[in-house]
Amino acid sequence: MSNDMEIKDKPSVVKEKNTDEAVEAGLAKLTPERIKNTINQVLQKETGPRFKAYVETCMHCGLCAEACLYFLSNDRDPSYSPAGKVKQTIWEMLDKKGEVSIEFLRRAVHIAHTECNVCKRCSMYCPFGIDIAYLMLMVRRICHKLEITPLYIQDTVNSHSATMNQMWVKEDEWIDTLQWQEEDAREEFEDLRIPLDKEGADIMYSVIAPEPKFQAGLLYQAATIMHAAGISWTMPSSPGWDNSNMAMFTGDNEISGRIARAFYETAARLKVKKIVMGECGHAFRSTYDVGNRWIGWAMPPFEVVHALEFYHELLTSGRITIAEKFKKTVTLHDPCNVSRGRGLHDMAREVTNMLCESFIDMTPNREHNFCCGAGGGVINCGPPYKGERMINNKFKAEQLKATGAEVLIAPCHNCHSGLEDIVHHYDLNMEVKFLGDIIYETMEKKIYKPGD
Amino acid sequence: MEENKSFDWSTDLKEVPVREWEDRFTWVEEPYVSPDGETIASIVNVEEGVFTVCENGETWDKEYDKAWNLRPLPDGKFAACVSSDEEWTLSISGNEWENWFDFIWNLQVNQDGSSLSLAVQKDMEYGMAVNDKPWDQMYENINEMVLSDTGSSAAVVQVTSMVQADIEVFKNGIFSCAVNGKAIDKKFLNIWDISFDSAGKNVAYGVRLDRTKYSIAVNDTAWDKQFQSVWKPLFISGDESVIAPVKEGGKWMLYKDGQPFWNKRYNQIWHLVVSQKTGNIAAIASDKFGKWTIAENDVTWNMAADQMISDLVYSKDGSTLVAVLKDKGFWTLAVNQKKWNLGADKVFTPCVSSDGNIVSVVIERQGQYFLVVNNIVIPNGYDFMATPVISPDNTKILQKAVKDGVYQRLILSMDKIL
Amino acid sequence: MNAFIDFIMGPMVWIAFLIFILGLIFKLVIIIKDVNDRESYIYSYLTLKHSLRSIFAWLIPFFPQSTKQSPVFYSISYIFHLLLFIVPIFLMSHIVLVNEAFQVSWVALDDGLADILTLVVIIALVFFAIRRYTVPEVKYLTSYKDYILILIIALPFITGFLAYHQFFLYKAMVIAHVISGEIMLILIPFSRFSHMIVAPLTRAYMGSEFGNVRHAKDW
Repeated sequence: MSNDMEIKDKPSVVKEKNTDEAVEAGLAKLTPERIKNTINQVLQKETGPRFKAYVETCMHCGLCAEACLYFLSNDRDPSYSPAGKVKQTIWEMLDKKGEVSIEFLRRAVHIAHTECNVCKRCSMYCPFGIDIAYLMLMVRRICHKLEITPLYIQDTVNSHSATMNQMWVKEDEWIDTLQWQEEDAREEFEDLRIPLDKEGADIMYSVIAPEPKFQAGLLYQAATIMHAAGISWTMPSSPGWDNSNMAMFTGDNEISGRIARAFYETAARLKVKKIVMGECGHAFRSTYDVGNRWIGWAMPPFEVVHALEFYHELLTSGRITIAEKFKKTVTLHDPCNVSRGRGLHDMAREVTNMLCESFIDMTPNREHNFCCGAGGGVINCGPPYKGERMINNKFKAEQLKATGAEVLIAPCHNCHSGLEDIVHHYDLNMEVKFLGDIIYETMEKKIYKPGD
Repeated sequence: MEENKSFDWSTDLKEVPVREWEDRFTWVEEPYVSPDGETIASIVNVEEGVFTVCENGETWDKEYDKAWNLRPLPDGKFAACVSSDEEWTLSISGNEWENWFDFIWNLQVNQDGSSLSLAVQKDMEYGMAVNDKPWDQMYENINEMVLSDTGSSAAVVQVTSMVQADIEVFKNGIFSCAVNGKAIDKKFLNIWDISFDSAGKNVAYGVRLDRTKYSIAVNDTAWDKQFQSVWKPLFISGDESVIAPVKEGGKWMLYKDGQPFWNKRYNQIWHLVVSQKTGNIAAIASDKFGKWTIAENDVTWNMAADQMISDLVYSKDGSTLVAVLKDKGFWTLAVNQKKWNLGADKVFTPCVSSDGNIVSVVIERQGQYFLVVNNIVIPNGYDFMATPVISPDNTKILQKAVKDGVYQRLILSMDKIL
Repeated sequence: MNAFIDFIMGPMVWIAFLIFILGLIFKLVIIIKDVNDRESYIYSYLTLKHSLRSIFAWLIPFFPQSTKQSPVFYSISYIFHLLLFIVPIFLMSHIVLVNEAFQVSWVALDDGLADILTLVVIIALVFFAIRRYTVPEVKYLTSYKDYILILIIALPFITGFLAYHQFFLYKAMVIAHVISGEIMLILIPFSRFSHMIVAPLTRAYMGSEFGNVRHAKDW
């Protein structure tokens, strides 16, 4: 990145490391016994040869540093390098056989929860393919068991555990919101439906809880797209509708598995062929290769289609046609969990080009794209950490600015929120949009008939 | 299945034209068929903002602003959640409950249809209502509603207020299990999967005691033993005992009344079923990561599905155990360890004769519905099919299907199929 | 003393080789057993195709993105790792010893060339040491143990080089060369040098997770 691209007048290195009341309250209750036992239990009983191989073969070469957004955003401060974070957490836990201090744990929570997006970019820069994100998640698992997980993300997990959705959405609120969006969308198509619990529909459409809570318009858009494309679809009225899973990011694997079970058993109850999910990355990761594995589904029992892939199918099959392409210059952020996590990056470019007149790619891109800085549960740690996050995302801001695009497409909720923060903080003057926003804006509002 | 005796098993074919409904209404929603197959019904939109239900071409007397969740009842009637003037109630073939609420959902019907329950919200307070009778006590929130065969209702209710993101209050336990509206005087961090005993008096459920400790509670008492995780418990042996899958030392086992019950340790066991007749216990299980099978009395079937087993059901006499499963990309059934080869995109709820000799199920292949009887796929494809019924003497099958805009109630002779 | 030297120059060489080979085999067996016992889920994702795809991608110089971004380090590292095997295996004086013992021999490097290549190995190790000390993100990860590892590899090459040139204490240098070589071999299975066999396994797993599950590249 050349110097003239550098973003000025903003603090360039994180100076203050924040904490929050949940972390502090948890730390205050810990005893040396509990710390030692918990760390040793997790590192000895819950790991295996994989963990051993990772910690015993790392040659301390430092090549992973170049991969990390945090390292690059903080003037190459080595304590932000991936292996540097492992050194400050796992290595010391192993060295001291679990006898670590409160001060150490305060730092460990901070590193694992707010200085790593578990984006796995570093695994592509480690010659041995060491999964450093896995090691950071192991630290989070220890924090979970020690009850020192940051406040806001823990509240999210609490919500998951009690309601099977991440935002304390009550069961009636969920259904009511769908019916309200359905009614609004009838302005556009008079016979539009959001079919609830329609057994035997081809597709179950699922979203994350922030949609009904704050962004109900996205449900409206999705319903419009489904209706126009003539899709046989349904949404569940029962818990199991939320595909998000913050428990997998706090190391609460038991709740994470419970969420995944509710999700797939809901699809089974509705006898659908496949599941389509909204534009969310971590939810894809949870349902595709994390939550499912913990309870014994090697691969998802239902085909899970991310919105990006679904749009590609709708556009290439002609079920959705574009009236007039989007005019503004756009760039595309590859969400880690569907590019590096599922290889959908080329499809994302095809969809963008089908929708937009002028597309400028970001560099680096595809599998090598930098994380938005919000993913992996980092943004979910909430306001106490936002200031730091902005500094930690400086390099991302420079990457965005270099594109010169007017519109930034982010087909992922976490990315979308994180990038909006970055755009605002660094005055990048970009509009952040979902692909669905652009499809809704540019599509022909007519119902697909086979043979048209 | 004694009620099946009263069904009309002698008329071979009855038809109801349904395509014409589409001309009469702005739109017609997905159809539901009564258990006896005599009636087909759909929610229909009459005009903008006006809904009713059409049963065999006749609309209900009442029209509503909204209607959803149409379900057939055992007595041949239909129930739907309906709304007028922003208030909701249950309408049974046009007859509304007296109580109206701010919202209703989760309609449950017990086996003989004598009890209907809903989750209800009024003035932001939550509870259940059974047969038009709301709980005396209402709560801040409600989840995990269940209705017993005897008509008792239970749910997880929030009994302590919690402001946003107050994890300290959450940690102390804000949930209880409420039975017939009365919260049990015991709070837990989490409560899931309530099971009633057969008398509808006692409840068992999974609980989380703190961040990492799980157990099973019966009424107000948790088992002494704690686990890494638990799944839904079940009453057995004439309600004497409670069994539940629990996770211990990284593996799943079956426990009974707080003690190990089955000896084997599994990668996963869940979805317990018990045969009332034989007392046999079965569960969906996984021995090897990613491979699913059935464990019956702690012995696993010589059969594996690589994707999912979604449902498990005993015949009434306990002789036959049927699993709905997905293997190598397709859905099928396994009956007493034998995997059928249905290659279906969807498999619906199986129907098993009382003596277990006949298993029938509706499947979908490439958008067409087919009836399957004892692993024989009847070649006629339909646009829609409801769950079939087997005659009490096992000689006939009632097929409920829609083709080319006509609903057909068809009695098939078993001789001709098998 | 002579008996000790005879032991070092004789049986101990074979013992060192045995420990090196059996140690690596033992390590591999333990890993496989551990995977079977504790993490057998790995087999659900591991495929030969994607394992090899990833391993080969990472063997091609300047193919992975990481190698493009650190060309100097990777160039030296590639050459170092190659020479680490080539120089001792194709050294005339080593082949002569093997020939005496087993009556087998193979093509040898020209002594002058071998001499230069030995220097290259030593220079590479000096580079690694300097890099450890000067590059902040590497220095941060470095402890004295990392320098010891460099020293363990460096010693056989330095002593070999000195012995060949017979600058001083020829006999002592030869003994030091043999001892340091034996120490290096013995330590490989029990130190981070075991990345010799473990790295292909971690690479294979990551390559399979990326290739087979995530449908993405991992280089």
